[in-house]
Amino acid sequence: MNTLRAPEVMTIAHSAATPTRPTVLLRRYLLLALALFALLLLVNQAVQWAQPHPFTGTVLQAAAPLADFQLPTTAGKPMRLSDFRGKYLLFYFGYTYCPDVCPLTLASLADMLKHLGPAADQVQVIFVSLDPERDTLKQLATYLPHFHPNFLGMTGTSEEILQVVTQFGIFYEKRGETAGYTIDHTSTVVVVDPEGRPQELFPYGATGEQMADDLRYLLGN
Amino acid sequence: MRIAAPVPVRLGLWSGVSKSTLWTGLVALPFLAMLAFATFKPILVLPRMALAPGFLLTDQAGARLTNEDLRGALVLYNFTYTNCVAPCPETGAVMAAVQAQLPTMATQGLPVRLVTLSFDPMRDSADHLRSYAERFGADPAIWRLATGEAMPLKYIIGGGFGVYYQPNPAADPKGDFTFEPTFVLVDGAGIVRAKYRTATPDLAILRRDIELVVKEAVESTGAGRLVYEAAHLFVCYPK
Repeated sequence: MNTLRAPEVMTIAHSAATPTRPTVLLRRYLLLALALFALLLLVNQAVQWAQPHPFTGTVLQAAAPLADFQLPTTAGKPMRLSDFRGKYLLFYFGYTYCPDVCPLTLASLADMLKHLGPAADQVQVIFVSLDPERDTLKQLATYLPHFHPNFLGMTGTSEEILQVVTQFGIFYEKRGETAGYTIDHTSTVVVVDPEGRPQELFPYGATGEQMADDLRYLLGN
Repeated sequence: MRIAAPVPVRLGLWSGVSKSTLWTGLVALPFLAMLAFATFKPILVLPRMALAPGFLLTDQAGARLTNEDLRGALVLYNFTYTNCVAPCPETGAVMAAVQAQLPTMATQGLPVRLVTLSFDPMRDSADHLRSYAERFGADPAIWRLATGEAMPLKYIIGGGFGVYYQPNPAADPKGDFTFEPTFVLVDGAGIVRAKYRTATPDLAILRRDIELVVKEAVESTGAGRLVYEAAHLFVCYPK
């Protein structure tokens, strides 16, 4: 029995030390497969890094900042655009009697802040009223917290508002003469970068999550 | 007891290349592709320079014209007044030439419009604008001429489009203007894509730019959008 066991042990020891050709090939192919997998991961990462962020909105390469302006705000004092340097601003233009488009967009903007979490501190939503006849600062201060406590309201005289909103590409027009008049208006959200330049346009219907996704990318850069 | 000899890995065509070189090459490939994209600029785009202003004006037919009416269309703007006669830098002839070229341009079904804004509302009534339009053979379906009240016009033309103009009664008591002849190309999203600060822009360049913006609007969907965004990222602008 002893004479039979010795060669078996020897054979095993021999196999471990010098693998057969198929074992070597298998190992090498496995290594090759692993290396290829690692390479694919690396390439994927490189492509992810290199490819542009799939923005929901349209991004501008504006070199010049918007013209500075000052309007009364719900913060209790008039504020200038330049007072907000260092923050991303999201401007929306509407009116508190707006039946559908404005509340939906403001709700999406509130949702965006929720999705941003702590990064929301670097973002300010500003609602500019297009209805100076009915939207007093008090009215704005009552209306906006229904959506988010940090929303800031701005208003002014008709001429001040027209001057401000024209440069944001906003058109608006009063419809009807009775007390229940409506206002037709452009309903895009304009993102202004921390240097005061227009950075991105969100079309009507952009969700809070989509806007937060773009803002996170912009904040990361 | 047979010892298996080490088996060399044969990589066919790559047998002459060391493995480390091969891996380095493969890893560098995406970066080389980016470099090639930025260098050779296979896709050209025009920059998104600024927001075009919002406006509500009245055209040569007495109808309202707003920037929202033009959303989705590529618009070439110019700025003048109908009393502008030589040696005033008249830009209407350029607009007429662009209008004449439109049928042969690769607009791919995308609406291309021409808009002339007058900064002389005191004299440029709808009738005056219509006469001016007829003088240049303006097709009202393509080329609209509009004006409005003096103060909003200053916000729109001066502030929004960045075009200087100033009444010049001292130099000419007829009420002429000093102004900087300018053409502005605005895309369907209301974004300025090009400015030509001259009374006589090169028509071939105007045509090229209109076709570039049209091409981007048509092809910039799905994966194509990422490619066009990469072109913006790598500043692939025409010379």
